[in-house]
Amino acid sequence: MPETTTRWSGFADYAPEGRALDEMVAARGAIHPHGAGLVGALEALGPAEMSARLEAARRTIRDHDVTYNVYDDPLGMDRPWQLDIVPHVIAPAAWSRLEAGLAQRARLLDLVLADLYDGQRLVRDRLLPSALVYANPGFLRPCHGLPVAGGRFLHLHAVDLARTPDGAWWVLADRTQAPSGAGYALENRIVLSRSLPEAFRDCRVQRLAPFFRALREMLHALAPRPSEAPRVVLLTSGPFNETYFEHAYLARYLGLTLVEGGDLTVRDEGVFLKTVEGLQPVDVILRRMDDGFCDPLELRGDSSLGVAGLVQAVRAGRVAVANALGSGVLETPAMLPFLPGLCRHLLGEELTLPSVPTWWCGQPLERDHVIAHLDDMVIKPAYSRIRREPAFGACLSRHERAALIAEIRQRPGEFVGQMALALSTAPVWADGRLTPRSIVVRAFAAAEAGGEGYAVMPGGLTRVADATASSVVSTQSGGGSKDTWILSDGPVAPVSLLAPAGTPVAVDRAPKDLSSRVADNLFWLGRYAERCESLVRVFRAATSRLVEAASIDDAPELAAMVRAMATLELVPKDAPASVSIADLEAQTLDAMLDEHRPSGLRQTLGQLRHVAWLLRDRLSGDAWRILNQLHQDLRGDVDCDRAGDALVLLNRIVLTLAAFSGVEAENMTRGHGWRFLSAGRRLERGATLATVIRAMLPAGGSDSAALWPLLEIGDSSMTYRRRYYAEASLAPVLDLLVADDSVPRSLAFQLQALAAHIDGLPRDPGAPASTREQALAARLLAAIRGADVTALCAARTAGRPEPLDRLLKETARGLGELSDTLSHYYFSHAVSRVS
Amino acid sequence: MIYDITHVTAVDYEERVSVSHHLARLKPRPSSHQVPLTHSWAFDPAPAVLRQHEDIFGNPVAFFAMQGPHRRLSVTSRAAVDVAAPPPLPPRSPAWETVRDGVDALPIDVYDFIVDSPLVAGGPAYAAYAAESFSKGRAIVDGLVDLTHRLHRDLTFAPGATTVATPVAEVFRLRRGVCQDFAHLQIACLRSLGLPARYVSGYLETSPRPDEPRLVGVDASHAWIALYVPGTGWIDADPTNDRVPVDRHITLAWGRDYADVSPIRGVILGGGEQRTRVAVDIVRRP
Repeated sequence: MPETTTRWSGFADYAPEGRALDEMVAARGAIHPHGAGLVGALEALGPAEMSARLEAARRTIRDHDVTYNVYDDPLGMDRPWQLDIVPHVIAPAAWSRLEAGLAQRARLLDLVLADLYDGQRLVRDRLLPSALVYANPGFLRPCHGLPVAGGRFLHLHAVDLARTPDGAWWVLADRTQAPSGAGYALENRIVLSRSLPEAFRDCRVQRLAPFFRALREMLHALAPRPSEAPRVVLLTSGPFNETYFEHAYLARYLGLTLVEGGDLTVRDEGVFLKTVEGLQPVDVILRRMDDGFCDPLELRGDSSLGVAGLVQAVRAGRVAVANALGSGVLETPAMLPFLPGLCRHLLGEELTLPSVPTWWCGQPLERDHVIAHLDDMVIKPAYSRIRREPAFGACLSRHERAALIAEIRQRPGEFVGQMALALSTAPVWADGRLTPRSIVVRAFAAAEAGGEGYAVMPGGLTRVADATASSVVSTQSGGGSKDTWILSDGPVAPVSLLAPAGTPVAVDRAPKDLSSRVADNLFWLGRYAERCESLVRVFRAATSRLVEAASIDDAPELAAMVRAMATLELVPKDAPASVSIADLEAQTLDAMLDEHRPSGLRQTLGQLRHVAWLLRDRLSGDAWRILNQLHQDLRGDVDCDRAGDALVLLNRIVLTLAAFSGVEAENMTRGHGWRFLSAGRRLERGATLATVIRAMLPAGGSDSAALWPLLEIGDSSMTYRRRYYAEASLAPVLDLLVADDSVPRSLAFQLQALAAHIDGLPRDPGAPASTREQALAARLLAAIRGADVTALCAARTAGRPEPLDRLLKETARGLGELSDTLSHYYFSHAVSRVS
Repeated sequence: MIYDITHVTAVDYEERVSVSHHLARLKPRPSSHQVPLTHSWAFDPAPAVLRQHEDIFGNPVAFFAMQGPHRRLSVTSRAAVDVAAPPPLPPRSPAWETVRDGVDALPIDVYDFIVDSPLVAGGPAYAAYAAESFSKGRAIVDGLVDLTHRLHRDLTFAPGATTVATPVAEVFRLRRGVCQDFAHLQIACLRSLGLPARYVSGYLETSPRPDEPRLVGVDASHAWIALYVPGTGWIDADPTNDRVPVDRHITLAWGRDYADVSPIRGVILGGGEQRTRVAVDIVRRP
């Protein structure tokens, strides 16, 4: 059969509606010249391949776990990031005008901030209404007169841009506080350039890396003390922030230490990072926390997120904060109408990039204009701290309209009216076809190190409305995103963020940036990973016997497993000795799969995932993929209603967990971080093993039924068979599982490894030769090494089970104590309070 | 009149405090009729850091930090201040509405005291209460004297009835409180009419002069308000004692409300429960 030669021409059928401008086509079928290259490449792929590439891109996003947290989201806290397969393309000529306008705007806003925080001449000269400063909740009086890093307030500026039917770009809003989105733009680029490699290469798309390199250089240059390697941290409010993914992502990409307020402390007017190796000085803080929350002493006292004394450290010139504390004052749409006048006054230039026509109702004439033209307006709160949805005048009922007008008249200063714009549209690939959706572009400008200008990111985050004809584009309310391609007139050179070859790089094997909080999380990552593995092994030993058993009375090994599960609180402790197999199966499946079941498998996996999520800037891409695989393995809708299904599932999970411990064992640098992670794993494994052995060897009665299941749980059946080629008997089994330090699942092995990890941990130079945790670990190890397991087993067989039981019990208890001791010494982050 | 003031703040912590950071506004500021003469600090334990700066309102602020473990903290501020008698009230002052309608012509730093602040938000209920004192066309100073008098009459001075966290609306409902509540409520009333009012923190000399009643105040700090009157400037009024202008008052600092000028605040690491004692001693030099 001859190959079909009919070329797909999907864009010819793409028909934007209404009067809005479309970014891709001018009229039906007529592609804008700058879009031709992309359209050609996409059409060459054809619809099936486009959908396949989109699916692959989505998979990558899931693997990278790119999320955007949505408050009150019924789907759960982190929602996968949405990226369309068709990029938004901007022509070189249009971009260079935008670029100049964005740089000018950043310079202007920086100067406005400098004025507002040093005497407010602009208000005295009546270029700005006083209320816009003094009634503005973003005006932080404690920041008045503070020195600013690099002489600038605004180090990173973002602008939301929209385009109207006449082709003009308008600024919808300025983000001067702690702009988000640059990291998502970067991730979009990384994913999309891999999804459409042909188009990306052929279209000569400008690279983003130079922008990020300049951003990093600028941040380093802000360091107040001269230093070869200043410590630059990214301050996040934590995993509950809507853009936490981006905080971790940017920190990783830019080589910054991701910190929360609790990781920092102020001493002698300097800011320090609390690490497991003591306090380490911090030079520069890129803050992704609103300024009001940054210092409970001088700013909002009800904030538990900030760092007490930070404002004083800034005042003393000891730390640089970007953007400057207080810069949020400009995040008010009420400022927009005054910018043209401010631009003439401060820069002696005309404002080249206009703002969407805006009227601040705090002025009587403007208020009356807004009320008279309500149908053409979007009414917004004047200050970002007033939480309120924008109201579209044309969409209001008569009653709503009257109520809104009454509110505006009562508190005019709190409202602005903005002209409702017809947002431009762009084609989005969904359900196998192209659909026009409204878009808004977030563009970014970063201060140039040492200069006075700003460098604009050649790209941006294009956000897409979630409905075809929507004039609201918001990530918080849904909708997706696009990569933004700025085409180049000439060839594009590849750029890397790494220092160019030939740059001298000082050897530094152990950067001291393991914060106590991160060490704590790594320790628990190890504990939870191992806890999952122990549970899976116990469940597997139980279900493999459940599958075969007819009744529990005929299955003594199953009865031993029930005791193990009961001691781990997986099945009821006081279960009747002769519970039916069907009931036991139901209970076991329940303990595996019910996410609300405390200490059950799904809940423990949830805890593992949570603590991993807190560490996402520290985990490798492979580690992430494995954890996501675990999550997929045990999703809510997993088909598992019989012990046989469970066995298949458990076998798969054992392998996935083995992959995780493999990454941990083979790919992690042997620093303190790994030591804490591994110590957590050893401690958990030892404690669980001691507990399970105790439970499975009953006070009276036969031990033989417990031995094979125990060997299975300890993954040592093979070793046993090879060594003894005999039926299992108590002393050799326990020698293997307890005393033999060459068996990687034995108690002795765990204790030996733990003692070595603890010896390797950092400690105060003034600490005693043997610390409490060292002494404890050594004592536990000595007890196991000194025990004569054969004699203990013989005593047990002779009716004296207590000595063996005591040894196991003391080991489990001692490991719990060791965990507490480590936590107290290395992880305790006492919470500060305001009075 | 020269006053010698000793202000001791002593805090006992239930548990050890490892690090604490504090801000104090306990050094008297200069004003139109007050000249600070001397000031000194004494701390126990000694602070690792002591720095002083001026805030946006011109108040002296001390930042100090304790970095060694401590169970007890004592801060002593000693000041000598020369306080002149306030000028008498102007016999004539503009109608209050002309002040309200002319705010754009006022010095810009006055504007800071018209708008809502963290602890004091205006509202129609306060405007209605204040309207009785500020009838149509009434001279603004007369209105201030009357409002101060009514608040003193309608509110009960009741230590313990409120805390620093009690909102103004609650004070207005309860009609009880301490000097800070009186001041916040009066500020809410004045701002609700569109008039600029600020919060003043300081001390009151409570020892009676011959043939005068003993004034009501707290043993420690006192608080009152000031209203801006074009042509005259800021006029202090003490609703707790029904005094306009104030006479035996020593100013520490002023701001929009208590949050701007709290005499001492801190963030501590550790500490558990804490008990704070404040002792103020004011001696008039003969």
